[in-house]
Amino acid sequence: MSEPNVTKSNGQSTVRAAQKPSAKLWDENATPRHRIQWCPGCGDFGVLAALKMALTKQEVTPANLLMVGGIGCSGQIRNYLNGNAFHGTHGGALAYALGAKMSRPDLTVIALAGDGDTFAIGVENFVHVCRRDPGVMLVIMDNGVYGLTKGQHSPTHGRGMDIKEWSEESPPPFSPLRLALTAGATFVAQSFSGDPKHASEIYVQALQHKGFAMVNDFSPCVTYNKFNTYDWYREHGEDVSASHDPANLDAAWELLNDFDRRGRLPLGVVYRHPRAKKAVNRLPLWPEELQGADVRPLLQLFR
Amino acid sequence: MITNHLKLLVGGVQLRDGVVTVTDVLGRILTRAGLYVLAMERGYASTIYGAHQYDPMVIAEQPPVSWGDPALDILVALDYDSNPDASQQPNRDTVLRHGSHLKDGGVLVYDSSTGEIPTEALERRGIKVFPLPARNIARDELKLDVVKNMVAVGALFRLLEFDRDVTLLRKLVEERFMRKGQKVVDTNLQAARRGREVVETVLKARGWTGTDYHLEPRPVTEPRLLISGNEALSIGAIQGGCRYYAGYPITPASAILEFLEEHLPKYGGRAMQGQNERESIRAALGAAVAGVRAMVGTSGPGLSLKVEEFGVSGMAEVPIVIVDTQRAGPSTGMPTKSEQADLSLVVFGGHGEIPRIVLAPATQEECYTMMIDAHNIADKYQCPVFFLTDLNLSEGRKVVPEAVFTQTAVRVDRGTLVREEDLRRDGAYKRFALTPSGISPRLVPGTLGGIFKVTGSEHDERGFVSTDPATRKAMMEKRARKMETYLREDAKPPQVFGTPDRKPVLVGWGSTRPVLLDAQQRLRALKIEAAVVHFTHLWPFPTDVAKAVLGRASVIIAVEQNFSGQFADVIQSQSLLPVRRIVKYNGLPIYASDVVGGVEQILQDGITHVRVGTEAPAPVRVSEGD
Ligand code: SF4
Repeated sequence: MSEPNVTKSNGQSTVRAAQKPSAKLWDENATPRHRIQWCPGCGDFGVLAALKMALTKQEVTPANLLMVGGIGCSGQIRNYLNGNAFHGTHGGALAYALGAKMSRPDLTVIALAGDGDTFAIGVENFVHVCRRDPGVMLVIMDNGVYGLTKGQHSPTHGRGMDIKEWSEESPPPFSPLRLALTAGATFVAQSFSGDPKHASEIYVQALQHKGFAMVNDFSPCVTYNKFNTYDWYREHGEDVSASHDPANLDAAWELLNDFDRRGRLPLGVVYRHPRAKKAVNRLPLWPEELQGADVRPLLQLFR
Repeated sequence: MITNHLKLLVGGVQLRDGVVTVTDVLGRILTRAGLYVLAMERGYASTIYGAHQYDPMVIAEQPPVSWGDPALDILVALDYDSNPDASQQPNRDTVLRHGSHLKDGGVLVYDSSTGEIPTEALERRGIKVFPLPARNIARDELKLDVVKNMVAVGALFRLLEFDRDVTLLRKLVEERFMRKGQKVVDTNLQAARRGREVVETVLKARGWTGTDYHLEPRPVTEPRLLISGNEALSIGAIQGGCRYYAGYPITPASAILEFLEEHLPKYGGRAMQGQNERESIRAALGAAVAGVRAMVGTSGPGLSLKVEEFGVSGMAEVPIVIVDTQRAGPSTGMPTKSEQADLSLVVFGGHGEIPRIVLAPATQEECYTMMIDAHNIADKYQCPVFFLTDLNLSEGRKVVPEAVFTQTAVRVDRGTLVREEDLRRDGAYKRFALTPSGISPRLVPGTLGGIFKVTGSEHDERGFVSTDPATRKAMMEKRARKMETYLREDAKPPQVFGTPDRKPVLVGWGSTRPVLLDAQQRLRALKIEAAVVHFTHLWPFPTDVAKAVLGRASVIIAVEQNFSGQFADVIQSQSLLPVRRIVKYNGLPIYASDVVGGVEQILQDGITHVRVGTEAPAPVRVSEGD
C-alpha cells in the first residue's frame, strides 16, 4: 500500500525533563492538528482523543512510549500524538511490537492498526501474539474497509448487512473477538470511537493489563463505509453489563453468543484473565553492559 | 607408512547408524591429541530416517589447506542390512557410493553383522578390508545397540595404532557417560576393546602387520576447539553484543537458533523461535527499534520471505544482522546441500533502493570475528548487514585455536546512539538529520529529552512522512552516502595471495577460500602460477581497490558454487573487467581438482565458463607436506 501523504512538519521538538504529563503534552512532537490527514469526521479522531486521555490517566511519558503503527489511515495516528513511533510493513505492527516489548518491558508498547492490517495481511501475527501474550496493547480501528486505498472490503466488511448470498469473493465478516478468544488472548475488549470517554476507560484497563490486550474499536470510515456509520453503531452497540464476569472464559463465549443472537455488538471488556508469566528484565543494550562478555564457558563445549 | 595425514569418511544410515557420533568422538579426541581436523563436506538428507549419511574428515599434523578431493584413505561403513535376504542391498550405500574414491592401498572397515560383502575389486587395488560385526557385538554380546559406534571407534584406533593405552578414549567416555553410571562407561569401553580385538584377529588371519596409516598425538601447545561455523558465529554474536535473536526452523540455520536459545539467556538476552520467517525478522526489527542489538538467521527460502523487511531496515534505518546459511535453491531446492546462490538476492533483492552491506566469512575463525564486526557495522550504518555463510561452512567443523576467541580484541561500538546529556546539549533531536557521512544520531526509546518517529515511508529529518521532491532527493542521497562512508572507513579489501601481475587470478568469496589456496598449490605443481584474490566484504563492492588488483591479471577467473557466476557478474558490472567463471552447482563441495581442471580448460581453450561436477574429478597429486 502506498501512502499519498505529504506531511510537512513544522512543530518544534521540545527537550524536557520527566514531568507529569498533561493532555497538552501529547500535542508536542506531533503533526499539528490542522495538518492531520484524516477525512473530517473519521472515527480515528475519536481513537486519538481516547488514547490521549488513557495515556494521560496512566501517566505514561512520551519518551517511554513506543507506538507501532500499521499501514493504512489508522496507522497515521502514531504521528498525531507525542511519543516514539515506528511504522514498517503492512501486517507487521504486532510482530514489531512483540520484539520491542520482549526487549524492553520497561516501555509502554502499543500497536495501532486497522482491521485489514490486523485480520487480513497480518492475521498470522495476530493469532500468535494472542498466544505469546506480550504486554502490548493493540487498538484495532475497525471500519470494514481499506480506506487509504479507497474503500476495498476488509475481513470485517458486511457487519450487520442483510446479504442473502455470499461468495468466495465476498465472504461474510468474521468476529475479531471470537478469533482472539480462540487464539488464547488474555484481554479481549471492544470499544466505539464515537464515545471516546468510554473507549478511554477500556484503553486504561488494557494498558493496566499484564499481557496482550486487544481492543477492537469501531471506528467508522465516513468516506467509504456508508453502512456501518456512527448512527448504525450507536443503534447496535450495547455496553457489557456490570454483572458480566470477564475472568470467566465460558461467560465470555456466552456473552458473544448472546449478543450475536440479539444482533447486538458488545462494548466493554469481554474477557480478562492474566496468565502467570516469567519475569523478564530489560535486555542489555548500552556498550558498557555489552562490552567484555565472558564467552569462555561456551568455549569449553568445544574442547 | 603415512603418519598424521589422511582423509577418512564415515558413512551409514541416517539416524540409525550414528555416523556423526563416530566422527564427533574421533574429532574431539584427535583435537585433544594435538592433531588438526577439517570436516566440511558432511552429506545427509532432509528426510529423517533411512537415507545415506556420510561425514568426510581430513586429519593432519598441520592445519589442512582445504578438504582437497573426494579421494579417501579410509572408509568406515556403518551400514548393515535390515533385510539380508533382499537381492538389492540398499544399506550398502557407503561402500557403493564411496568405495571407488578409496585410494589404492587404502582401508575399508565395514559392518559385517548381516554378512560379508564382495570386496575383491577393492582388494585387487591393495585396499585392506576389515569386516567388523559391530552391530552384532553391540546387540548380542553387550546388550546395548548404541555402543556399535564405539566398536567402530575402537577398531579404527587400533588400525591407526592410536591411543593404545585408551587414555584419551576413556577420558571422553567418562565425561559423556559418567552421569549415566559406571556401567554405561564400562560397556562403551568394552565395545571399543571388542573393536580392537576384531581388527587384531583380521590382521593376524591375513598376515598383515598393520595398515599404511598411523596417527600419533602431537604436543598440545595451546587449547584448541573443534567448532562449526554456526557455533562460531553464534559465539561471535554473543561476544559482539547481540541480545535478541529470532529464527524459524530451517536447515542449515536451525543450529544457530538452538545454540542461542540455550545460551543467550545466560548473557541477559532472548532468542525466540518465530512462528514464521516474517515474524522472526519483524520481531528482531522491533527489538532493534527498542534499542537492542538484534539478529535473525535463515536460509534461502526463509530469506526470500524476509525480503520486504530488508526495505524497512534500509528505509527506516533500523540496524539488523541477517545471517543467511545458504543452501542449494531455488524454491525448496536441495535443503541439505551447499550453494552460493543467494548473493544476487542479498545484493539486489527488494523493491526500491536501500543501503546494505554484505559480508561473507571464509572460515570458522572469520564466522566469529566478522560477526562481531557485523554488529558494529550494522549499528554504525543503520541498515541491513547480511552475513552469508553456506551449508558447508555453517555445519563444517574445524580445529581452531581457542586464542581466536579469547585474544581477538573486541569492542562493542554502538555508533551514534545519543544519550540524555547529548539531547540536553544539542536541543531538538532529529532522527534522520542530514549529515555529511549520511549517518544520523540514533535514539533509544526511554531516553529523556527526545522522541523519534521512524517509518518505512519516505520522511523528513524528524521522521514525518513526506513526498516533497527536495526532501526525497536529500533523503535518498543521505542513505546512499552511508555506503560511501562505509567504503572509506570499514570495507575490507580483498585478500591477495600471490602476485596477480600478468597471471591468471582466481577470485572467490566466502567458504571457497581454502580450496582456492589448495588449487593454487596444485597449479604450481603443474607449473601454472596463479594468484588468489578472495573477498569477504562483497557489497557495496569496493570497486577502486578491486580494480587495482584485478586489473593486473592476465585473466580473471571467478570460482563459485552457483550456476551463473553471481559474484563474477557483480565484479564485471562494477569494474568493467571481463570475468571468466568456474561454477559448480551439483550440491557437492568444490574440490581442488575441480578448480585445477577448470583453470586448465580456460587457459588451453580460452573458454569463458566451465561447469564442473559432471565427471569424476581427476585428483592432481602434490608432494607430501603441502
Ligand atoms: S478514508 Fe475513511 S478511514 Fe480513511 S481517513 Fe477517511 S474516513 Fe478515515
